[in-house]
Amino acid sequence: MGVLNITAGSQAILTLGNTEALSLPGATDGMVIPFVQDITVNAAPGIVRYSVLSSPSSKAFTTVNENSISGNMLLDEETFFGLAGATNTVALNGLFATSTAKTKVFFTVAFEGSDSLDHYIKGEGFIGGLAPTASMDAAVWISPVEIIVDGELEADTV
Amino acid sequence: MSIRTLILQQLANTLANGGVTSTDYSLEANELPWTASGEPLYVKNMRVVYVSDEDESKVQLYRTLDQGTVYQTETVVQAFLSEDAKNIKANNPTVIENMLNAKDIVNTANGYNVQLADSGYEQEIEDSTITYTFEYTFTTI
Repeated sequence: MGVLNITAGSQAILTLGNTEALSLPGATDGMVIPFVQDITVNAAPGIVRYSVLSSPSSKAFTTVNENSISGNMLLDEETFFGLAGATNTVALNGLFATSTAKTKVFFTVAFEGSDSLDHYIKGEGFIGGLAPTASMDAAVWISPVEIIVDGELEADTV
Repeated sequence: MSIRTLILQQLANTLANGGVTSTDYSLEANELPWTASGEPLYVKNMRVVYVSDEDESKVQLYRTLDQGTVYQTETVVQAFLSEDAKNIKANNPTVIENMLNAKDIVNTANGYNVQLADSGYEQEIEDSTITYTFEYTFTTI
């Protein structure tokens, strides 16, 4: 038992790839998103509430899960616009082109890094939510990012 | 090159070129504004500009999960000039203006990503000596 400490700088990692293998934590040619300020895994089941005459409290049933990954990042030139010569096509095209082309990507969110038996969550989906913002106060480009998950999230270990 | 060095470089120019150097005014490029026998050198040597050393503070502007920290540095430099209040030289306003504008030398071309560059001055008259204390404040990334 213990908290998952992320202060070392190599624990909470978002990796993208055009195949599942390329998106695994520590994968060669995996596209690790740098300068991520925060990351949130949203795994919320849909809920419908209803009332019955025989109960003073509302009742509920679940519908489909609506999963997404969201976060904020400082923009890195190669990550956003693409890295020439990359074998991982998500890295080759960059986040912006991958988002506008509505290309499906595979992703993992590492919780403890990329060492053996470290836990991560994986899935596939579409990049959205990019809204790069620049201001003199901020000094650098900042953007939110979201991965709208297609299907279920799965937990696994390296 | 340090911010103080850049300001010295700018002020070393002639009046017409944005500096202070002229027949009436000059720049002390080697010495800091130290005090001799209880009197600051810039008071003892009128119409000579002295530039202080830098005060600097560095804070984290952004922290990221991969420790890709972005720092914000605030640098403050002071400059001093004294003048005989009984005999203000005709080009005094130009010297003052050029000293205020000297902040512009700190820019991307000289290696600084400047977020904010401010300059201003206060003046104080004691007996017949008027002392201008300039303060340059830079926020760089």
